[in-house]
Amino acid sequence: MAFVVIMPKQGQSVESCIITEWNKKKGDQVKKGDLLFAYETDKASFEEEAAVEGTLLELFYETGDEVPVLTNVCVIGAPGEPVDAFRPGGAVTEIIETIETIEINGTIETNGTSPVAQSVGSGAISPRAKNLAEKEGVQLDGITGSGPGGRIIEQDVKAVINSHPKTTPLARKIAGEEQLQPASQGSGLGGSVKAKDLTAINPIYSNDFEIKKLSNMRKLIAKAMHQSLQNSAQLTHHLGADARRMLELRRKVKKANDNGYPVNITLNDMVCFAVVKALRKFPQANAHFLGDSVKYFNKIHLGIAVDTERGLMVPAIRNADDLSIQGLSNQMREIAASCRKGAINPELLSSEAASFTVSNLGNYGVELFTPVINLPQVGILGVNTIVPRPKDLGDGAYGFVPYIGLSLTYDHQALDGGEATRFLKQIATEIENLEFEL
Amino acid sequence: MPKVQFIDPSVARQAGEITFNPIPVNQYAKTVAEEKANFSNDDFLRIYHDMVVIREFETMLNLIKTTGEYSGVPYDHPGPAHLSAGQEAAAVGMAYTLTVDDFIFGSHRSHGEILAKGLSAIQKLNDADLMRIMETFFNGTVLNVVKKDFKGTTKQLGRRFLIYGTLAEIFARETGFNKGLGGSMHAFFTPFGVYPNNAIVGGSGDISVGAALYKKINRKPGMVVANIGDASMACGPVWEGLSFASMDQFNELWEGDMKGGLPVIFNVMNNQYGMGGQTCGETMGYGKVARIGAGVNPEQMHAERVDGYNPLAVIDAYRRKRQLIEEKKGPILLEILTYRYSGHSPSDASSYRSKEEIEAWQAQDSIASFGKSLVDAKITDQKTLDSVWADIKQIMVEMLKLSINDEVSPRMDIRKRPEQIGEMIFSNQSVDKMEDRIPEVNHPMAENPRVIQISKKERFAFDADGKPFSKMKQYQLRDGIFDAIVDRFYKDPTLVAYGEENRDWGGAFAVYRGLTEALPYHRLFNSPISEASIVGTAIGYAMCGGRVIPEIMYCDFLGRCGDEVFNQLPKWQAMSGNVLKMPVVLRVSVGSKYGAQHSQDWTSLVAHIPGLKVVFPVTPYDAKGLMNSALQGTDPVVFFESQRVYDIGEQFHKGGVPEGYYEIPFGEPDVKREGKDVTILTIGATLYRALEAAKILEQKYGMSAEVIDARSLVPFNYEKVVASVKKTGRIIVSGDATSRGSFLNELARNITELAFDYLDAPPVVVGSRNWITPAYELEEAFFPQPEWFIDAIHEKIVPLKGHISGQNFSDLEQIRRAKLGV
Repeated sequence: MAFVVIMPKQGQSVESCIITEWNKKKGDQVKKGDLLFAYETDKASFEEEAAVEGTLLELFYETGDEVPVLTNVCVIGAPGEPVDAFRPGGAVTEIIETIETIEINGTIETNGTSPVAQSVGSGAISPRAKNLAEKEGVQLDGITGSGPGGRIIEQDVKAVINSHPKTTPLARKIAGEEQLQPASQGSGLGGSVKAKDLTAINPIYSNDFEIKKLSNMRKLIAKAMHQSLQNSAQLTHHLGADARRMLELRRKVKKANDNGYPVNITLNDMVCFAVVKALRKFPQANAHFLGDSVKYFNKIHLGIAVDTERGLMVPAIRNADDLSIQGLSNQMREIAASCRKGAINPELLSSEAASFTVSNLGNYGVELFTPVINLPQVGILGVNTIVPRPKDLGDGAYGFVPYIGLSLTYDHQALDGGEATRFLKQIATEIENLEFEL
Repeated sequence: MPKVQFIDPSVARQAGEITFNPIPVNQYAKTVAEEKANFSNDDFLRIYHDMVVIREFETMLNLIKTTGEYSGVPYDHPGPAHLSAGQEAAAVGMAYTLTVDDFIFGSHRSHGEILAKGLSAIQKLNDADLMRIMETFFNGTVLNVVKKDFKGTTKQLGRRFLIYGTLAEIFARETGFNKGLGGSMHAFFTPFGVYPNNAIVGGSGDISVGAALYKKINRKPGMVVANIGDASMACGPVWEGLSFASMDQFNELWEGDMKGGLPVIFNVMNNQYGMGGQTCGETMGYGKVARIGAGVNPEQMHAERVDGYNPLAVIDAYRRKRQLIEEKKGPILLEILTYRYSGHSPSDASSYRSKEEIEAWQAQDSIASFGKSLVDAKITDQKTLDSVWADIKQIMVEMLKLSINDEVSPRMDIRKRPEQIGEMIFSNQSVDKMEDRIPEVNHPMAENPRVIQISKKERFAFDADGKPFSKMKQYQLRDGIFDAIVDRFYKDPTLVAYGEENRDWGGAFAVYRGLTEALPYHRLFNSPISEASIVGTAIGYAMCGGRVIPEIMYCDFLGRCGDEVFNQLPKWQAMSGNVLKMPVVLRVSVGSKYGAQHSQDWTSLVAHIPGLKVVFPVTPYDAKGLMNSALQGTDPVVFFESQRVYDIGEQFHKGGVPEGYYEIPFGEPDVKREGKDVTILTIGATLYRALEAAKILEQKYGMSAEVIDARSLVPFNYEKVVASVKKTGRIIVSGDATSRGSFLNELARNITELAFDYLDAPPVVVGSRNWITPAYELEEAFFPQPEWFIDAIHEKIVPLKGHISGQNFSDLEQIRRAKLGV
């Protein structure tokens, strides 16, 4: 059975392509995947591979020819098979002959349905068919209409739908909205196509990328982050705090844990505890900027950035100023676990729920970053890794001291640079003078 | 032709001659002094007063039209003003003796008649009745304007009310007698016995006869005066009115107190011109209008010409003619000779008559000469007459100022209530009977032979096994119509039915068979074969308060009553400001087999006219239910029937046609067959061919067609059709009307708009060819056939495998036919 290679249609507006090179000549044996010819549009170049194995029986065009899209270019098949039927232009002649035969037979005296005389042009489609195609996510390229004059009507779209695997309603909706293609085999029940199986596959070329729909979570984050940068005057101050006290406390905790002490107070817990203490002294940083007013919180609700599989979550620890460091540590652990399990109370995730946020990237080795504020909060503290830094130990002696990096992003609409600096310095002071009993 | 009347050939063939009696011309010759016995001094002065009111009213309008002001009050009136200055004596003389119960109808030139009859009625009403009329009319809206700060008598208040109401109506104010929807040519006020004036020349010529018919049949007091012009005597509808009014049957066949002529006077105001055409000497041949009476009946319509320049001559004539009316010797023809000073309208420069002629008539001016004769007879003095003028001029200025004051006389606020006029097009009431009394019938309904016969019929077409009963046994469509009509005859005493062959024959299509036995002559009778008078009289009958079923046999005869169906029947409810109701059910039968002038479906023509309800049922169940609704309503309904299906049984309604009373609301199409692949919407008997097509589609092409019967054209609820199209995506609209300009296209257009996104193909119209209807044997080339539906689907909607079209529905052919106009 002869196989016809047509000139693919590369995009809606492309009407013809130019063959730039033939990689095979008439009579050549070709294997599936062999390069047949290269061609180009006014915008890009492409290559056409053989989809079947066989002998290249005939080439209808030569290098340099401009070929209308969807026109037969060459034929692959068994030696001796006739190819003239596929020669471009031949098919039309045949249809006209058919009509003449009918007229000569005199079965109808009127001119009846005549595809030539009445052609409504390719692409004509009934509103009903169009709507169905959109609803079902059916791509109309290449569909031949069976209505009068070749109009695509409902039954044509239905035929395409029936030839595809079953698709879930969500997948249909998304495919329709975003012009995506269902995979030929889905991952759902009985091979049905689910939303995640949708891709922007080009049916002629293989796909070198994958488009995935944003999860709702991702959409929310994207929106919140983008809005944050759009709608506030953010800048970041960086400052280091001597971490020796903190590291010593951490060693004590570990030791106590080994002896059965129940609370594993981490460096992050300590930083957060220090932040709460600093916030008590800088209520202007424990606030929401509301455009024409500022909302100052009497209590401290500390937002903690938590990295989860589903994306970044920032739950709030309500009334953090009432907690001891042990209490804070426990709550932070629990709330992070809830986030990772997806069991978190959504109300705590709202950016309005927290009065200030801490985002710690120190354990990933980040040395410096500019965290993005969760509006309407006026500030966020980025916590970096601990690095040794030279320090004047007095008397002309210098030594390397571990320093923890602190990056405070604040909304300049609400806070001035001096205030922000003093607040950041206060956090450092709290860290350096941290004390708690085990 | 009733059997009781024997046409004896030996008598009919006898030799002889037709003789005529002399027709009196201007025979009145009394002087004022001689009339003193008949009139008091006040009476004489009142006649003078009323004429002056008309003269000043028309003078005012003429000045407004030609100079833009009256007595220093500027106003622009863009609308019409056909004035009657010069004709005052004719109008006042006509109205002087009329009672409040006497009705006048008029023409486009009837301001004078409105005022004359109104003033006459005010004079005759007692103060309490007059006040009640003014207070209740539009809840006192008109009265409130003229009553404010006025301290005169009730009758003086009545005069203000009359002048203001008429003027405000002419100026299209909502405080006018017809809410400003009638205007100069249609203003009227029924509580004073002033019935519609008519902008169509001769329009009142048949409508007034219907009013007289109403008075006679319903035993109402008073008579009817049709004020028409000398030029209208050439109009067909006027002749038809004369013929209808003078039918022998009133004296020969109507029984008991119904025996006798109609109480109607054709009062021809002969001002000697029809627009610019001079009726005597140029455009007519009668010489004097009164001559026509001799050609109408042996009584010569008691015709005479009266000098309409002398009010006493006209009053004298009316006193004599009233006597004849009371003796049931109507109809009467009076020619009142008069002359109009102004042109046809203010834009008419009177180029068709000489200045000398106008001056000669003005020299004999009816008001001046009547005033002089009063002074000469010492009935009054010039000073008194002058004070009449001064008084009237003052009230005119005052009423003009009120009527053009936008605050007290606003126009309809169509910005605030844009649908206000739309809400007035139909009255949409549900009324069992137009009057509460016992209907006159010949026997109890249960004893009627037709009723008994129908009770034995099969009310569903098929037996339990689905086999059809014989045609004779089936309850047919004609039985459904009969059922509804006979029921209403026993409910509504005012209901009458007439038309061609309505009585003994039982209607050409046997719908009324049995009614003759049930009803006395005056409730069911044969009319002349003159459709204008059939419909025109029905309009007059209904606007006076009766319910009526006129029948014009073939749809093709609609053209014969074109003005009545297009201009009168649909318009009067809204044009009256909803004062009038129009409970007329016009039966129209669509023919077949009878060629080009007896087989046309003209539903589209009437559906085009705002103000008509249009239905076309084709099943017995629908026919009975829709006829019941038509007869329960108060709006004009054109009720189409099809001669193809008068004998069809009920094939759709489960349980058959119910025995009791039920109504089918207008406007609701009905799904006769459910389907999912294509919708076919039909008007009329085409339904049955669509159902055959649906069968072919199912058996040959595996397509299931949903067939919907429109049943109504106006009103029409698209929701059901749109729901069907949402399901099928495809629709054919079909009917037997020639397709160009037909209502089928209206349906298709609206469906396209309402269901565009659901359509899989444009709606396809399958109507008749734009030809003459050929002979029955060739009809299959003309009317939609079952195969045409398949062809249309194949060509326009979805190509059907293996189908070869018989009809050419291709685009090219569509263009070719349109180019050729066929």
